[in-house]
Amino acid sequence: MNQPSQKRILMSKTGLDGHWRGPTLVARALRDAGFEVIMIGMANTDEIVRAAVDEDVDLVGLNIGGHIDVALRAVRAVNEARPGLPVFAGGTVPPHAKRQLEELGVEVYPPGSQLAEIVDAAYRLTGATAPA
Amino acid sequence: MQAKTPPEVIRASSGFELKPFYTAADIPASHRERIDIAPGEAPYQRGFHPGGYRSKPWRIFQLSGFGKPEDENERIKFLLRNGETGFIMEHDRNTADHCYNVDHPDVVARREDVGLTGAVMQSVRDIAICMDGLPVDSSFAHPGGAVVQHAPFALAGYWTVARRRGFQLDKIAGTGQSDFNLTYLGCVTKQQIPTDAGLRFNADIIEFCGQHLPYWVPVSIAGYNAADTGLNPAQELGTLFANAVEYLDEMKRRGTVDMQMAAKGCAGVSFRASIHIFEEAAKMRAARVMWSELLRSRYDITDPKAANLRVHCVTAGSKMTYQQPLNNIVRGTLMALAAAMGGVQSLGVSGYDEALSIPSEHAHQMSLRVQQILQEETNFCAVTDPLGGSYYVETLTAQLMEKAWEFFDEIEKAGGYLACLDSGWLHARAAENQHDEFMAMETGEANIVGVTCATEDESPYEVDGFVGTDDAFDVATERLHETLRTRHESAAGTALKNLEAVCRGSDNIMPAMLDALDADVTLGEIGDVYRDVFGDWNTPIQT
Repeated sequence: MNQPSQKRILMSKTGLDGHWRGPTLVARALRDAGFEVIMIGMANTDEIVRAAVDEDVDLVGLNIGGHIDVALRAVRAVNEARPGLPVFAGGTVPPHAKRQLEELGVEVYPPGSQLAEIVDAAYRLTGATAPA
Repeated sequence: MQAKTPPEVIRASSGFELKPFYTAADIPASHRERIDIAPGEAPYQRGFHPGGYRSKPWRIFQLSGFGKPEDENERIKFLLRNGETGFIMEHDRNTADHCYNVDHPDVVARREDVGLTGAVMQSVRDIAICMDGLPVDSSFAHPGGAVVQHAPFALAGYWTVARRRGFQLDKIAGTGQSDFNLTYLGCVTKQQIPTDAGLRFNADIIEFCGQHLPYWVPVSIAGYNAADTGLNPAQELGTLFANAVEYLDEMKRRGTVDMQMAAKGCAGVSFRASIHIFEEAAKMRAARVMWSELLRSRYDITDPKAANLRVHCVTAGSKMTYQQPLNNIVRGTLMALAAAMGGVQSLGVSGYDEALSIPSEHAHQMSLRVQQILQEETNFCAVTDPLGGSYYVETLTAQLMEKAWEFFDEIEKAGGYLACLDSGWLHARAAENQHDEFMAMETGEANIVGVTCATEDESPYEVDGFVGTDDAFDVATERLHETLRTRHESAAGTALKNLEAVCRGSDNIMPAMLDALDADVTLGEIGDVYRDVFGDWNTPIQT
């Protein structure tokens, strides 16, 4: 169960802003690394939680483009529905928002992060074995 | 910083190899004759106007807006007071791009997002608040409507307020946008009318302006949005003109507006100015030649008013870094210089906090200052087309045109621009480039200062994201209820029914839209009509 191909990652956008460069790049890198990536696009808190439960994912990735309170609400709901399920995030996340997310245990990869760092985080957070 | 082995091959962003230096022999023979043609003369490579920036410096034109309409109004006045020479009204993405009112469940679920990237304007009453005291008669305006399905509402709202204040539509100047590259390529909304309905809207706007608003740029194709999604400069050019021929072919088919007027209506465009500054400057020069050649060869149009491409430029938002944000002031300056060297008519410089949030007041002010320093202190405006005759830049200009026409032909072969949006063909091209660009950064082939090298930061300032107001959603909700409660209900109902009938038929949508705005019909009601009549675009990408 430690192969990346056996790990499922949910990716979603919390806002209604449709810029797709970031999340699709990250999704491609994760798929190239072997993970199964489930993209649900723009989703609200309930939709994210439902997908995290129904799809039995190992990690949730949030693309954040809006107000931090919207993202924090989604994270809290995921934490409640699936305690211990790791969440990481990227997007337009200014320092004050980054700190708030980190307080909830979310790893944040702001613009300028390397795809390799994000893939490494996915290995670590899902417990998958990285290729030697 | 690590010393790098010089790479054997260095390429332009558009893919062709760059030589270590250039001589006269590098300039293709077919291009040489253009070099000595003066600015203001076809094919306009050297510029739009014989006097260049001496007769008219570029317009300082910044994206602006957030919060409640009055917050946006205040920011626009701040920018005008600080030297902006036109103004832009941004609308809230959540509501505007989707034509939702704030009570739509998708918006309510994200209530804190509302107003973050533009003011919430659900009716002409909100638009009137945003326009309060703005110089509608003397200033060039962009009243919003970047996304295709939102444009008729945004334009009709602005025009209605202008008319109520006593201004005649045939006198006011400004620009619409209704950009397909934003709507269907770069920023794919959750819900959107299909591309054929979008084409009809844009043709209606071109037609309406052709008949009633001679000083208004009806639609503005934004190469910017194609480029910042990943297309390279040559592809940006090819895509923009492939888009333009969709509009012009439709106008020709309709035959309701003189083709010169229609072409003039499509000749106000925007490009991205990115960080490879010589290639970007060459791109603006190439664009002018391509447009005049396209009009001549495909539509037999040579009228200078139509054949002169007028370019608004925005510096590349995606080149602004999250790390060491003050460096972005330097990047903004360089990209602004590239645009100005290319002879653009209008310019917006991204805020130094672009990667963190919408611009703070200070970031906005710096975007103005960058342009003011260029215009006032550097003697830049003295001489037109300062790069003209450079072996390198002339060669680049010719190469970009060649590559751009190749891409244009590829799009045509794949069924045309609209078909390439519907099928995801253009999205795939952009995604390939994004990936390559990222890989170049990750492998150390391309460095980004403050991100992949020179990462120590001594700045005493923490630049945090700008946070606007926290009452935009609540106030918009109250105002929506108030509008619905206090408007003349039967007039609103009649106007909405009439708009629906026009949507189902083939008459121009704009007169019915103006009537709807005048009767306090709200954005979400109009969006419901669209969803009912036109359905939803089948998005070709998974986000």
